[in-house]
Amino acid sequence: MNNIRSISEKSPVNPDKWVGRYGDYLYRYTLVRVRDVAAAEDIVQETFLAALNSYKNYQGRSSEKTWLTGILKHKIVDYFRNKTKEALYHDTNTLSFAPEDFFNRKGQWKIRPVKWNADPQKLIEQQEFMKVLHDCLSQLSQRHANAFILREIIGEKVKEICKTLDITPTNCWVILYRARMYLRRCLEKSWFTDETYEETS
Amino acid sequence: MNHWMFNCRKVTRMVSDSLDHKLPLYQRFGIRIHLMMCKFCSRYRDQLLLMRKIIGPKMDKKETNLSIKLSSKARERIKRLMQNNRNEVS
Repeated sequence: MNNIRSISEKSPVNPDKWVGRYGDYLYRYTLVRVRDVAAAEDIVQETFLAALNSYKNYQGRSSEKTWLTGILKHKIVDYFRNKTKEALYHDTNTLSFAPEDFFNRKGQWKIRPVKWNADPQKLIEQQEFMKVLHDCLSQLSQRHANAFILREIIGEKVKEICKTLDITPTNCWVILYRARMYLRRCLEKSWFTDETYEETS
Repeated sequence: MNHWMFNCRKVTRMVSDSLDHKLPLYQRFGIRIHLMMCKFCSRYRDQLLLMRKIIGPKMDKKETNLSIKLSSKARERIKRLMQNNRNEVS
């Protein structure tokens, strides 16, 4: 019985059945990451249409669900990247980017982290927070933004990210370190604190 | 501010790494000692963890998640578009 099931899962079914079979799953996957109903619907739509176009290249090596999810992930990254482009022209304070800039020569904090006052549950629900996040992501280079989106928003393993971006794990860790350092500072500046509370050394 | 053997710059890198892979014991130990004494690195760590919590996929209880469904309007639209698309191709 199991055998029959796995074969039927691997062999492509009629695309007419895709929406019924995988629509809810893909939508759910998208919504918990994108947190915007209209955007999530669009992304799922684009995914199915893209799948339709590349259907002939699908070899049945992975299950149909895995294959569709793979396309979906790309679409979600694209979504965040496009948001990023939209936000590019916003007036933003320039922030120091290299993690080294945060420390003095002895490796001590120069730009010290400030205490964040936030209720995580509330933040998740706030649309404005997502906007600030988009703005902050927009200031990262494409490489840093892609790595961060794949790791923290999609939830991909570093191994997978290395494959996608064609980089070594060490390289990936450095990129993620820089992206996190920058984003935490950006969120701190634009969302979490009043600069006057900042202690400077 | 000489917190044992790692300075703040090194600790921030290792804390970030610890979100992606398991660190060797001496590093985990070194981080712990350092964090006990350095409030800025502790804040940094809390911030990274909070970021992960609020930015990462927002998963509620399984039952709530399963109740999230593609609206019938979107479903019909997608089906229609796919149908059109296929007709164009063939």
